Amino acid sequence: MNVEKGKTVKFLKEKMTVDKEVINNLKSFNKSKKAIINSLKEGSKTVPQLAKDLNISTQDCMYQLMSLLKYGFVKTGEIDDMDEYFYYELTEKIR
Amino acid sequence: MENHYKELSYDVLVVGGGIAGGEAALNLANIGYKVIIVEKELSIGGKMILLSKVFPTLDCAACITTPKISEIDRHSNISIFTSSEITKIEKKAEYEFVAIIHQKPRYVHIEDCTGCQLCEEACPVNVEDQYQYGLVGRKAAYIPFSIASPRVAAIDIENCTLCGACERACPTSCIDFTQTDEYFRLKVNSVIVATGFKLFDPLKIPRYGFDRFKNVITSMQMERQLAPTRPYNTILRPGDGKMPDNIAYVLCTGSRDKSVGNPICSQVCCMYSIKQAQLLMGALPMADITIYYLHIRAFGKGFNEFYGQAQEMGVEFVKGKVAKIKSADNGNLFLRYEDFEDGIVKEAEHDMVVLSVGILPNMGIDDVFDGEDLNLDEFNFIQQSDPLASPAKTSIEGVFVAGTASGPMDIPDSILSSGAASAEATSYLRRIKS
Ligand SMILES: Cc1cc2nc3c(=O)[nH]c(=O)nc-3n(C[C@H](O)[C@H](O)[C@H](O)COP(=O)(O)OP(=O)(O)OC[C@H]3O[C@@H](n4cnc5c(N)ncnc54)[C@H](O)[C@@H]3O)c2cc1C
Ligand code: SF4
Repeated sequence: MNVEKGKTVKFLKEKMTVDKEVINNLKSFNKSKKAIINSLKEGSKTVPQLAKDLNISTQDCMYQLMSLLKYGFVKTGEIDDMDEYFYYELTEKIR
Repeated sequence: MENHYKELSYDVLVVGGGIAGGEAALNLANIGYKVIIVEKELSIGGKMILLSKVFPTLDCAACITTPKISEIDRHSNISIFTSSEITKIEKKAEYEFVAIIHQKPRYVHIEDCTGCQLCEEACPVNVEDQYQYGLVGRKAAYIPFSIASPRVAAIDIENCTLCGACERACPTSCIDFTQTDEYFRLKVNSVIVATGFKLFDPLKIPRYGFDRFKNVITSMQMERQLAPTRPYNTILRPGDGKMPDNIAYVLCTGSRDKSVGNPICSQVCCMYSIKQAQLLMGALPMADITIYYLHIRAFGKGFNEFYGQAQEMGVEFVKGKVAKIKSADNGNLFLRYEDFEDGIVKEAEHDMVVLSVGILPNMGIDDVFDGEDLNLDEFNFIQQSDPLASPAKTSIEGVFVAGTASGPMDIPDSILSSGAASAEATSYLRRIKS
């Protein structure tokens, strides 16, 4: 079998279909990523503030936000006056 | 299938590349035996490589594991097969075992990958990171974790959209979607089983609310939060990102509990909880830590002093059995427990709960043995046929057991047990010549 190096994904695409769930997961991640980034453009926010703004649960917000932190889109800012919640803000990668 | 097997030959097969299997392999390789390690995960290192620090010395786990792992990786007498499982081991005669290895495709040529992470950056997918125990996401093209060995990318094909972004981003063209399953026929003279343990699944105790209440986490998740390669910027509640200041530990979750099918003590949970409590007091100086326990098992060298140290630091120990955990609207948790000192039922509020989950046998390895049976003990760990005189011997001559595959134990005991297994294997192998 002769498949060009660096273009092998075509080979597997012909043999395998991508699960619907995988596509849906990608769509929902893209959606929340966009929403989080747009919301943080207004200024830094804590997880509860961000969740309220996006109308999602704080736990989903936490998971998505921490993933974006890991991928370098978001960074940690100051902690609030009660020493409870950190503010998160966009990194230079976005601005 | 028969003629698709690639043929391999070694002196010893080590099944499982955790600290126990790695140590046994090193001992044997250092005296000249050719060893093959077969590991089902993408990296060797087992659970230990994911720990924060270790009791009772509080040495950094990665600082001990990393040099050891790289020694194993570089050793000329050791070959490592990751993403691989043994499907069959047959004893043909004394000193003659034939095993079949099934290696799953990684879709990456290990030797060409530099670990640059450009594929990770390019991949659009976000799925739960299994090596962070679900606390954060990872990509479908990913390096398992920063100190993984080998530290090279892999494609999680089940979550891949086949967009090809990783392949276009890869500067060395090491990503290869044409890879398929590979099968090897392996001849060895002896086998060491070091398949380790499995963590108790707290979903089996619904009254503790794990998964329903996101601020109830497992000790392994706390271990990740305390590690330098942590999922968050600091210790936070997964439910809402609050920095906790009143954390409870529930010891014996899934251990010493007949109702969940595990009547025995897991040996390490008391000590790792005491360790985590001390680390938390360092990370969150204002936090209160309470440990709910039945008995504290601090039996090893320096363990009782370590326990005393935690008490002196202000960790509160409550002798009692937690019956139920409820959640309030603000994410705080109410623990209903029987206080053994006062003999009454009480309720206490905490803002985060850690379930100190127990150690269970990793089942299945006995099924791959063909011909002779690899016996299990009554708790489904590998049976030691002569636990007092030759603790590494199993029911099959020439097959030895190392580490937690034979029962719950900590790292020092796992390493000791690997010493026993490699010594027994050596003595067995020496007899070939005589
Ligand atoms: C939360 C927590 C904290 C802990 N903290 C400490 C501590 O501070 N100090 C301490 O001394 N101990 C601690 N321990 C205990 C420690 O983790 C164990 O003693 C140690 O990891 C045991 O090593 P092992 O190699 O026997 O098993 P494992 O680490 O489980 O390794 C087994 C390996 O075998 C592989 N495997 C399994 N089945 C197969 C198969 N069929 N084919 C191929 N490969 C297979 C696995 O993928 C794994 O890599 C802690 C445990 C927990 C849960
Ligand atoms: S092909 Fe798969 S792994 Fe590669 S970037 Fe696309 S989704 Fe990620």
